[in-house]
Amino acid sequence: MLKIFLNTVFRKLYLQKGYSLINILGLATGITCSLLILLWVEYELSFDSFHDNKSQIYSVYENQTYADGEIFTVYATPAPLAIKLKEDISEIDKATRISRTWGKLMLTIGGSTFIEGSGLCVDTDFFKMFSFSVLLGDPNLVMPDERSIVITEKMSKKYFGETNPLGKVISINSNINYHVSAVLKDSPKNSSLYFDYLLPFNFIKENWSFNLNNWDSHAFLTLIQVKKKTYIPGLETIIKPYIKQNLEQSNADLALQPFTDYHLHSISGKKLSPILYVRIFSLVAFIILLIACFNYMNLSTARSERRAREVAVRKVVGAHKRGLFALFMAESIFISLLAFGLAIVSVELLLPFFKELTQRDLSLKFSDTTLLLSFAAIVLFTGFISGSYPALYLSSFKPIRILKGKLYSDSHLFRKLMVIIQFTISVGLIISTSIIYKQLDYLQDKDVGYQKDNIIYIEMMDDFHEHYSHLKENLIKIPGVLKVTAANQMPINFSNSTSDVSWKGKSTDADNTLFQLSFVDYDFIETFEMEVIHGRAFSSKQGGDSLKLIINEAAASAMKMSYTIGQKVKIWEYDCEVIGIVKDFNFNSLQVGVKPLIMLIISDEFKYIAIKTDGNEQPIINKIGETWKKCYPKIPFSHRLLRDDFSYLYKAESRMSSIFIAFTLIAIIISSLGLFGLSSYIIEQKFKEMGIRKVFGAEFQHLFKSFLIRFLRWILLANLIAWPTTYFLMQWWLAGFAYRIHISWFEFLGAGLLSILIAFITVFYQTYKISSITPIKAIRYE
Amino acid sequence: MKTFRTDEVETNALNNVNLEINEGEFVAIMGPSGCGKSTLLNILGLLDNPTSGELFFNDAQVDGYSERQRTNLRKENIGFVFQSFNLIEELTIYENIELPLLYMKVSSSERKKRVNEVLDRMKIAHRTKHFPQQLSGGQQQRAAIARAVITNPKLILADEPTGNLDSANGEEVMNLLTQLNEAGTTIVMVTHSPSDADRSHRIIQLFDGHIVTENMRQKL
Repeated sequence: MLKIFLNTVFRKLYLQKGYSLINILGLATGITCSLLILLWVEYELSFDSFHDNKSQIYSVYENQTYADGEIFTVYATPAPLAIKLKEDISEIDKATRISRTWGKLMLTIGGSTFIEGSGLCVDTDFFKMFSFSVLLGDPNLVMPDERSIVITEKMSKKYFGETNPLGKVISINSNINYHVSAVLKDSPKNSSLYFDYLLPFNFIKENWSFNLNNWDSHAFLTLIQVKKKTYIPGLETIIKPYIKQNLEQSNADLALQPFTDYHLHSISGKKLSPILYVRIFSLVAFIILLIACFNYMNLSTARSERRAREVAVRKVVGAHKRGLFALFMAESIFISLLAFGLAIVSVELLLPFFKELTQRDLSLKFSDTTLLLSFAAIVLFTGFISGSYPALYLSSFKPIRILKGKLYSDSHLFRKLMVIIQFTISVGLIISTSIIYKQLDYLQDKDVGYQKDNIIYIEMMDDFHEHYSHLKENLIKIPGVLKVTAANQMPINFSNSTSDVSWKGKSTDADNTLFQLSFVDYDFIETFEMEVIHGRAFSSKQGGDSLKLIINEAAASAMKMSYTIGQKVKIWEYDCEVIGIVKDFNFNSLQVGVKPLIMLIISDEFKYIAIKTDGNEQPIINKIGETWKKCYPKIPFSHRLLRDDFSYLYKAESRMSSIFIAFTLIAIIISSLGLFGLSSYIIEQKFKEMGIRKVFGAEFQHLFKSFLIRFLRWILLANLIAWPTTYFLMQWWLAGFAYRIHISWFEFLGAGLLSILIAFITVFYQTYKISSITPIKAIRYE
Repeated sequence: MKTFRTDEVETNALNNVNLEINEGEFVAIMGPSGCGKSTLLNILGLLDNPTSGELFFNDAQVDGYSERQRTNLRKENIGFVFQSFNLIEELTIYENIELPLLYMKVSSSERKKRVNEVLDRMKIAHRTKHFPQQLSGGQQQRAAIARAVITNPKLILADEPTGNLDSANGEEVMNLLTQLNEAGTTIVMVTHSPSDADRSHRIIQLFDGHIVTENMRQKL
């Protein structure tokens, strides 16, 4: 039986080579896209799932409420919180604070100095909570004391080669010695906690003299592990007021987020959650697969008249409807299996490019049972969906009618619906792709309000402050260097803030206004070409500008002092004076928007040197490197370009958009092919009618017109459905951006015209093809 | 000569057929299945081209005509009636009959006048808004004849016009054709029915693509 089945299927595939090829290739393309997306989605969902205790670990985060009622949601929590929570709340079993090292550290190993960035400071519970495998050292006592450093395999290889690193000394910032106590396996790529080395949390106190008992300084990630695997209902309520209980004037409430949500779910309602992309892409994958199935359905039903006689004869010799249905289903599942095989090969071929595009370490693992089950589901889904209608349609043919030459008994409604759905999806995809593309393009090119090109910056190590003025003097002498300045942070991501600001006439409702605080050097405003709209920029003449402030427009309006230069403002215990107002510029991702900002000169806080060049970057960088070597022969020189960092801010978005655009283009192509197939089907069904019309004098243009009108009606309807739906969807998506484009009618009209063009070409081609056949072929009934 | 080719077989559907049909004549073509009756009719109707040989219509040599020329000649001069009616299912009876006039770019008032006229003549005026499948076979064939005569063609080609009808309806259709002929229209009809053939002036017997006999009947 199986042999007969396979025989007939292969014979059919062979006899209708062109049709089979289109069918299988179409399905294979659809499945390939869906598989690639599936791999990506699975990878994203797999983040942090390798920890054995994952269901018991939660991140503690803060909701800080400010004057204007705005809620600022951050993972940054006070240092004493973790210990206090663990002490007080019996449900909490373990707790750790996690902090990235503040800037890069200088590691001295065996007399050589290296700069390393990816370090975390953690509490010892960290090793009991998270499942990072210990390769060398005591798994139960990974970090035995305050002088231990835990390194990864990668770092061990890098600095110690094949020798056992345990007990070796690493000196940090040339003043404290740490002993390697364990080597961990490199953190998996799908881990949110990514590091090359781990230091005791106390390092923060020792190295930066940070007060770890301060409840008013929010800077660290707090992670807790609860005793029970199930959700503890009251826990969040107990934790919520914890900061206020310890610091009365605090504006922060605490909340919990399951650690497995850390990667994909944004805690702030204002930011786009990456899970959104996962959902959108899953939808895109589903749509692509569905379109591919639609195509299969259309093509097979279109070919059905060629099979009608087969059905009739099978029925006459005794086949039941159910048996025929099963036969056609089996055929389509078999074809989808062939397509799937092809798809697996294409996925393997495309995977390197896709990995590059997604920046994810994806692979096809056939040992993964979930993946295998999804594969089976895809084959069955594709086969079932694509086979169901043709099977139902074919198996319900009445043999007598067919043998007499009458065929089309269905209501055409299904077919019309298919054309409309497919056009609706295509039009929607075309519109949303162009809007997404425009928005991301806009973000990349938007004038952020400061100069980000031709700026090189260098991160300074701890004790370099004293050498800064010397370095600056030498740097400015390099030909091509226009300005040299310093600051505690670069404008791409200002993160220091305070609400401890007061001024004359400050109302109580402004109490909690959050001001971004930036400590800058002279020439900062000039280097970044910010626009001073009132007052002046900082100047080293006339005795300098210490305790003078320059604020942005947003801060001026928050203080309700837009035109007042010379206003007194108190920040912490310092009495300061406003000397200038700069035009608002974006110092965060454009998703967030502009916040009030205060800039003042405090040289102790400088962390970065920024150098503005005339654009001739590489030779200047070399020269800077030479200058650096002269000043600091022991410390390796490393630099960054502001422009690169700026692009990096939108990297996630631009990566998502490239993937999205790539897949929607494929969806549009598959869909257009499908429409082509579908219209062939419809026109093929009108073969006889065209013949009759030709007998009675119709010429090409008459036939073309009559079909075009038919198709245009459907396309119009599809556009009418797609336009408002896409409009609302896109409005919703754009609402996540502080700066966004206006949706113009252009995209809609363009998509409409494109869909008409597709219809026009298809109808033209098909009408031409069919009208060149002599009409008697169409009306012959014998 | 008309030759049909498929990949492996070459079939001569018509061979050495020499035939002249005069204006106002009523000719019946008879013969067993597959003898080439319909092929002959399609060539006469300019729906098909002979593989070799000459074809004249109204003294003009038409065998070398282009598709467009043939369409034009056809829509002005020839009406067709088929065994299976070949009405378009999506169009009403009225629209089906109106169709040839649309392609001749006849004005809408003139179309309306002519369609109503012929509907009356064919006694299906009450069925104008119906779709073909809602009508009986006889009514459908009357509508098909109405469509064939709406352009006042000089020649009507009928391919087994009564083949799908019962005897009463068949009789009625034959009466209509006879009336048209009496009013001056030339008719060429393929038929299996000797009684239908009796209505004609001349019966041509075809066998394996050849004309075997030509009977001139008394009525001429």
